[in-house]
Amino acid sequence: MCSSAGTATSIASLCTVLLLLAGRPAHVHAGEPQVPLVFENDMFSAQLHPRSPRQVAGFYEARGFPKRALEALRGSCFLTVRMHNRSPTVVWLELHSWRFLAGTRELQRLSRSDWDSRWRRLVLPQANRSTFRWTLLPESRDLQADEPVGGNVTLPATDIPFAVEARFATGAQKQGPMRTMRIENVRCAKDDSP
Amino acid sequence: MRQLVYAALLAGGLAFAGQTGLPGGVIPVDGHAAPPLRLADLDGEAFDLTELRGRWVFVHFWASWCGPCRKEMPAIQRMSDSLRDSALAIVLVNTAETEDAVFSFLGIVAPALTTLMDSDGLVTEQWQPRGLPASFLVDPRGRVSYLALGGRPWDQDSYLDFLRALPGE
Repeated sequence: MCSSAGTATSIASLCTVLLLLAGRPAHVHAGEPQVPLVFENDMFSAQLHPRSPRQVAGFYEARGFPKRALEALRGSCFLTVRMHNRSPTVVWLELHSWRFLAGTRELQRLSRSDWDSRWRRLVLPQANRSTFRWTLLPESRDLQADEPVGGNVTLPATDIPFAVEARFATGAQKQGPMRTMRIENVRCAKDDSP
Repeated sequence: MRQLVYAALLAGGLAFAGQTGLPGGVIPVDGHAAPPLRLADLDGEAFDLTELRGRWVFVHFWASWCGPCRKEMPAIQRMSDSLRDSALAIVLVNTAETEDAVFSFLGIVAPALTTLMDSDGLVTEQWQPRGLPASFLVDPRGRVSYLALGGRPWDQDSYLDFLRALPGE
């Protein structure tokens, strides 16, 4: 198993090489606390970077979000995801097929509609809602060859470590082989995290 | 289903791109009518995309908080400089930021460019970009003919040659 650390690019690269040599989807395990978490297989790469409440609030505060919205944001767990389709065919990002597993318990992701409801209750200005939507990872995306995508996935804040498990159809008509991704030991970042 | 059709169009576009030597990440699309684009710029001047019928238009959506947008903007300025004598119109649309944020960003990164202000972000959503940044090429009849996947090095020769060679009306 490979570990990856935010400051250990060479380790991540080594893992990449080893995983490619292994010729199968990789399961990357992270130790204490290691960010960003890196995954790579023969078709795409992914990075998952937990953001602390202070980082999240700071970002949106700088975009003019009001205090009532910042409080809601601080109480949630933000994972910034970056993916890059390195294959010559389509890779389907579909968040409904992502699972967040804390042992036998499944954590429920906060969807766009969850946030829309929250913003309606808080009467968040339309411009802030628009910015927020653009910072979320798309719910669904037919990633073209060499196409990157990035954005946040959000969960209710939790102290429990969890695994992120996802399935990806491939091919323009989803006719290609299914790919899976599993990243272990993901933790919501706290303000005292590095 | 709609997404599958779109994917098929994109896949076809990629195949076409391979055949015709389109620059990387630029894909032909179905030529649907461009959504409305009526906004004011930083100086409050009104703009309507329909007034540019008869010309190719490069429509670019961006935000200063978006890393790839920040990286791409200087290339767009250099592209604009290189194509100053061409018929291509370049239209930037900022998505849901304040004038202060936009002014301070563009003033440093691309002072020769100006932008339309989609202050509430609703016009951007009508165009349904795949993300930010997003660039579309609208043909002289007002049809969306190409899109670019993510940020692109628009100042490189392959992109400039492609833009210069866009056919007339």
